[in-house]
Amino acid sequence: MFVQEVQEHAEHAVDAASGAAEKFNAGKTIIEHVSNNQAHPIFHLPKIAGIDFSVTKHVFMLWLVAAFVFVVVTWAVRRYLKQDRLVPSGFMNALEGVVEFVRDGIVLPNVGKKWVNTWTPLIVTFFIFIFCANMIGLIPVFDLLGLLDHYVFHTSEHSFLKSILHGGTTATANYNVTAALATITFGAIIVAGTKAHGFVKHWMNLVPHGLAWPIYILLIPIEVMGMFVRPFALTMRLAANMTGGHIAILAILSFVFLFTEMFGHALAGIGVGVAVSVPLSVGISALEIIVVLVQAYVFTLLTAVFIGMAIHVHH
Amino acid sequence: MNNLHYLGAAIGLGMIVIGAALGIGRFAAAAAESIARQPAAADKITGAVNLPLFLLEGVAILAEVFVLLIVLLK
Repeated sequence: MFVQEVQEHAEHAVDAASGAAEKFNAGKTIIEHVSNNQAHPIFHLPKIAGIDFSVTKHVFMLWLVAAFVFVVVTWAVRRYLKQDRLVPSGFMNALEGVVEFVRDGIVLPNVGKKWVNTWTPLIVTFFIFIFCANMIGLIPVFDLLGLLDHYVFHTSEHSFLKSILHGGTTATANYNVTAALATITFGAIIVAGTKAHGFVKHWMNLVPHGLAWPIYILLIPIEVMGMFVRPFALTMRLAANMTGGHIAILAILSFVFLFTEMFGHALAGIGVGVAVSVPLSVGISALEIIVVLVQAYVFTLLTAVFIGMAIHVHH
Repeated sequence: MNNLHYLGAAIGLGMIVIGAALGIGRFAAAAAESIARQPAAADKITGAVNLPLFLLEGVAILAEVFVLLIVLLK
């Protein structure tokens, strides 16, 4: 976050130096820093059936996280399996801790003993992927790259390095990404119910049996709506939580520039920055680390609960 | 009169925070009280409190998203 602030200082200084005399627009700057950069795609691809297939920053981050998780986890597990004595060490210990926590703390209490091994792989994947995607948004890699580019590399306006500097870094802050994850949950619920009870029985299980028929007229639409609302809530919860923290940090940091503009002197901005913005944003960053963990946990827990609800029907 | 939607969004946001804070506060109070009465059941109580807590948080977040939509889609 310090780096981000320094970079913004630099950007602001450049703006002032080039005589742009543009007023600092906090809302626009913040949205630019957290949203996807559809205006500056990394690779430009044509539209197919009205859908833009260009590789934007969030897509890039998504691939980066997926590749990172795949390579690191596969490498660790392969190395572990090659040993003569199967004793985990180092990173493998941590990985086993995570898997065991997800299996015994999240999946087992909700899904039950019979199906725990069926659904643990999916939910562990969810947990590790969401956690890494969330966490990478907190590490200011791209702000550091921007600083290096500005002071050391001086690449051209259309270079690859410049194009990856635009836009937010947290892939899970994009509701399209979380919607895709929630769609997998939606499918998993149906598959779980079908595997446990059979296809027809699963849909019959949506509503309780043996009620008077007029109640079903009310109940069936509600239950069908609930089927779609649950993944929708998952989508919005993860995306909004990830975006919200970043917006809060950036809003507090933008006080520096707002105060500079208000008093017409850089000292006012620096004073506010030292006294208010930096301590507060450090605090919120610390809070964000907890939020990142909790949101990964919440997504996986709710997925496990919904799968469990499809398997153990309580009506 | 053109910027009344900002007023609506701000009031709505305040009401969301009041509601969510009341809900979470009651959860925390009830959980702390029951753990104090029966420390042995702390794990079970935490587990039982977690899920409705996240559902509550989800409702609050959804409301905040809609408030943001009011501002952005004016």
